[in-house]
Amino acid sequence: MLKVQNLKAGYGNIEALHGISFHVSRGEIVTLIGANGAGKSTTLKALMRLTPPESPKVKEGDIIFEGKSILGLDAHKVVSDLKMTLVPEGRHIFGNLTVMENLNLAAWTRKGEKIQADLDHIFSLFPRLAERAKQRSDTLSGGEQQMLAIGRALMTKCSVILLDEPSMGLAPLLMYDMFRTLQKLNSEGLTIIVVEQNARLALSVAHRAYVLDTGEIVAEGKSSDLLEHPEIKAAYLGV
Amino acid sequence: MEQFIQQCVNAMQWGSFYALIALGYTLVYGVLRLINFAHGDIFMVGAYISFFIATALLAQGGLFGFSQGVTLALTIPLTMLLTSLVGVTLERIAYRPLRRKGAHRLYVVITALMCGLVLENGNLAILGASRKALPNLLEKQIYTFGTIAVTNLKLWVILAAFLVFAGLHFVVTKTRIGMAMRAVSWNRFALPLMGIPLDSVIVFTFMLGSAIAGLGGLLFAMSYPVLDPYMGAMTGWKAFIAAVVGGIGDIRGAFVGGFLLAFVEIMVAAFLPSTFRDLFAFSILLIILWRKPTGIFGLPLTTKI
Repeated sequence: MLKVQNLKAGYGNIEALHGISFHVSRGEIVTLIGANGAGKSTTLKALMRLTPPESPKVKEGDIIFEGKSILGLDAHKVVSDLKMTLVPEGRHIFGNLTVMENLNLAAWTRKGEKIQADLDHIFSLFPRLAERAKQRSDTLSGGEQQMLAIGRALMTKCSVILLDEPSMGLAPLLMYDMFRTLQKLNSEGLTIIVVEQNARLALSVAHRAYVLDTGEIVAEGKSSDLLEHPEIKAAYLGV
Repeated sequence: MEQFIQQCVNAMQWGSFYALIALGYTLVYGVLRLINFAHGDIFMVGAYISFFIATALLAQGGLFGFSQGVTLALTIPLTMLLTSLVGVTLERIAYRPLRRKGAHRLYVVITALMCGLVLENGNLAILGASRKALPNLLEKQIYTFGTIAVTNLKLWVILAAFLVFAGLHFVVTKTRIGMAMRAVSWNRFALPLMGIPLDSVIVFTFMLGSAIAGLGGLLFAMSYPVLDPYMGAMTGWKAFIAAVVGGIGDIRGAFVGGFLLAFVEIMVAAFLPSTFRDLFAFSILLIILWRKPTGIFGLPLTTKI
């Protein structure tokens, strides 16, 4: 479904990705792991076609979505036409809007559709959000904000969701909850690409993984294999 | 006492102009964090646009020969529409390219300042220095209550300001696009991730702000029917200050700030020598900002618009 071919991208004159290639099929959970500065977030932003200065400029290579290059698309078109969205690092919720308004706004491209069923679904996944539906979202705790960020992505009715560091700042218990929820969503048909510092956790839920190091893919394979790989273990799992 | 009430009515009218301009300042600031210094001149352009439309439509020597009432009814929407296009054009040719390149905010503000000067001087170059007079569009009626006299135009101006405020408040708080505008003001990065085209929201903001300035320009020209290219400069500056004192980024602040400034100005001018007006007015505003540096409705770096 999604193919990245020899992608080179960077910020200004600095190249952050030196020609990476990978692919994702529908229904998969794929994780990109690697150290800080390896280019994981850059990859996701490039996939979303977000624009500089915050996001990279693609210099070479291609991103193919269902047979077509998406390099010419705007970010909002990636969401509305390809049904792919991103839960960015640091959540980026709309803090001045209520929880409910955040969720309603995310249904922007679905004008006229009934969204109550989806709201119910999100509230069943994250009951905490239902309790706080009328609250300004910047008053939520970090974990609740992360739930809202994911709930918001679900409200777009996208079939592919990219997640950038979903576990950041979460208590261990919440973190496991979050990943269990992601697995559940995946079993309902959602394709997930997740970038994660917590490599062990990410590998434990993902089907396949790519290991990035300073802008290059240095290893790839089934998560279960990578978990056993001695070098990966030493470098990223801290064993 | 009666003189005081009379001055209050005058201040309400004067404040309506400030409020209408300040609303546009605050909208654009709230959404983009951009102080659109060209906004006062968009108000001026609005007044000129209304002049051309009204002159063309009106009976005496006009192209169409409509009556006063029909002319006014057509001039209002046409002026608002054309003025909003001017605002959108500015955004398109001046601000958007800078935004695309990730320019620092200072450069965008300076660009706005220059756009204002271009509008003023472009007008001067094309239309010359001779002042234009808006034809009369509304038969003057004076209502007297005791010794207090109010013209129908004054009442319309005040009513228009309140209606615009109510409408804008509704758009910002209750509609989808208003929700998107508030969202942009908090986090521009995440908006496209909801599938919402950021540029459309920004264009809508400029349209709204400029249309309101256009209406203000028309009403101002009807009240003081002498137009000159610099009419937007000082009024625009003062409206900007009013927006800041009210708490820039909050539409209630712009509205209240506009009336507050007008009250101070008019009262000083009424009861003190008129040369004291701006000195006193701005000293009082300084004191307000000194006590409340984020403005009356402003919260430090939280909700805008």
